[in-house]
Amino acid sequence: MAPFTDQEILETVRMVELETLDIRTTTLGINLLDCADPDLESSAEKVYAKVVHHARNLVETADSIAADYGVPIVNKRIAVTPIALVAGASGSEDLVPYARAMDAAAKEVGVDFIGGFSAYVHKGFTRADDALFHSIAPALAETEHVCASVSLATSRAGINMDAVARFSDVVLDTAARTKDTGGLGCAKLVCFANPVEDNPFVAGAHIGTGEGETVLNVGVSGPGVVRSALARLGGEVDLLAVAETIKRTAFKVTRMGELVGREAARRLGTTFGIVDVSLAPTPAVGDSVADILELIGVDRSGAPGSTAAVAMLTDAVKKGGAMASSSVGGLSGAFIPVSEDQGMIDAVAEGALSLAKLEAMTTVCSVGLDMVAVPGDTPAATITGIVADEMAIGMVNHKTTAVRIIPVPGKGPGETVEWGGLLGTAIVQDPGKFSCQVLHKRGGRIPAPIHSYRN
Amino acid sequence: MPRLFITAEDIRRSSGELVVEQGTVVTPQALEAAAAAGVSLVHAGGEPYSEPSPDRGPDAAQAVHHLPHLPEPPADLAGATGVVVTAVGKNRPGVLAEITGALAAAGADVRDISQRTVEDYFHLVLTIALGNAAEFEGFKQQMECLGGEHDYVVRVMHERVFRFMHRI
Repeated sequence: MAPFTDQEILETVRMVELETLDIRTTTLGINLLDCADPDLESSAEKVYAKVVHHARNLVETADSIAADYGVPIVNKRIAVTPIALVAGASGSEDLVPYARAMDAAAKEVGVDFIGGFSAYVHKGFTRADDALFHSIAPALAETEHVCASVSLATSRAGINMDAVARFSDVVLDTAARTKDTGGLGCAKLVCFANPVEDNPFVAGAHIGTGEGETVLNVGVSGPGVVRSALARLGGEVDLLAVAETIKRTAFKVTRMGELVGREAARRLGTTFGIVDVSLAPTPAVGDSVADILELIGVDRSGAPGSTAAVAMLTDAVKKGGAMASSSVGGLSGAFIPVSEDQGMIDAVAEGALSLAKLEAMTTVCSVGLDMVAVPGDTPAATITGIVADEMAIGMVNHKTTAVRIIPVPGKGPGETVEWGGLLGTAIVQDPGKFSCQVLHKRGGRIPAPIHSYRN
Repeated sequence: MPRLFITAEDIRRSSGELVVEQGTVVTPQALEAAAAAGVSLVHAGGEPYSEPSPDRGPDAAQAVHHLPHLPEPPADLAGATGVVVTAVGKNRPGVLAEITGALAAAGADVRDISQRTVEDYFHLVLTIALGNAAEFEGFKQQMECLGGEHDYVVRVMHERVFRFMHRI
């Protein structure tokens, strides 16, 4: 037999043991459309029963695969159908009971998060969408494991600026209701332009209407592996060699995800959906996208050259992933969540990374403005402006973009807030003293760009 | 098609005995309500309700056949599980004997072996075939107990990990 060289074997062992290669998440998607009921309590009851019924063995299965293959599976999560779609039949104006049912189900089966307290409002609001917007802040304040996401724009529909303005209010309300924990509720709330229906990562995880009954999606990570590969490469080689190294590394990481995804789906008796190959940093030393950018050749993340470096990194990751698996999906690329990446935190502390530069970098990363802390007294109009800018980037470039912004109550620019765990530490960033009151008040819709008319 | 759920509301509307079709999920709240109201939940055959196995939808049955074929086990394994054992640590007399002794005790068939020493340290890579796939977990635990903090470390990994990672 002996089909592998020592070098190949030791490389894999090193990735797992020393370079923090892990499967970031196995996310079971569960369709809840059949839980609709004219009676709100009965509907919430069905949601709880269905989630528990399908996800009962998820944690156990993931743990057994982690043991068998020797690769850690860090998170087990559940993604469900956007609740606004399930809630329509109930006609209720308060959808918090759904969030309670989701939270209780997540606790019962032992998963880390359950995503899908969501609505698609990129063109307009149904009564249920309206109710969901009213329920997000109380739901996030009351529950522990529930994540909410909303779609505010698509390249086809344009940007629903009424929804953007309402989202800003929801963000501020959520921050106020969770002020004891530094506005942490906002870490479980995200808005999207062009959301993907099979995203396994929170806070945006949900399962779209085009998906099947149940589906298992996997998110792989591995900034540490890419970082080590680039560190070994050194500073002398040209950028083609750097891109090639990232691509090869991404291939290997993705294959690991594919293996785990197939096996998890097989053991659970469900369908394997996608591998989301994303470099998702954690506050752990070495598990940083900012470090990779520095190894590519910028002094600090946010310095001139950073956008080019992120562009190359994201593209090389996608190419390596596409070669490794026919089922690459989700967000796939590089995440630059500020508070979750020690290198990014350092860059903000040293004054290298401004909010404006971060926004520029999001035009080429795989998601958007992620885990950005702003002062607690930031006006709604300013948040509207920040969100609208990011939505515009997604809309015009046919790209998924997101905003996860946390107005930290009682903190001003430059102050530090500690959220702990995977969410890390943030330094409150200054959004500037100028705002966009008139734009905020106008409402209406920014029409879709001309190049969206492709039919 | 059977109804999908029985909720507490359904229990409140019934009395005595409620027949649950195969595949119907009774919510925990309904179970509580039934116990409180003295409603017994039974299947058509008369046996008490038990939770069905999850119906993963029409795609699930086809899912296994839809997986595109990535590198599969080489023919010479013939049903055995391929396992890669690596050991890294301080060299001392008897290390190799300890590891291979444990392998022999587990009935593992060594297919390939390679070892290097660099100054005081060694690394050992063994590719083995394990007769029965069910033994893997116990085997892994047994092997990883060998060595110690200032001695050497043994890692046992499924051969599929390496095949997926290094073969196109």
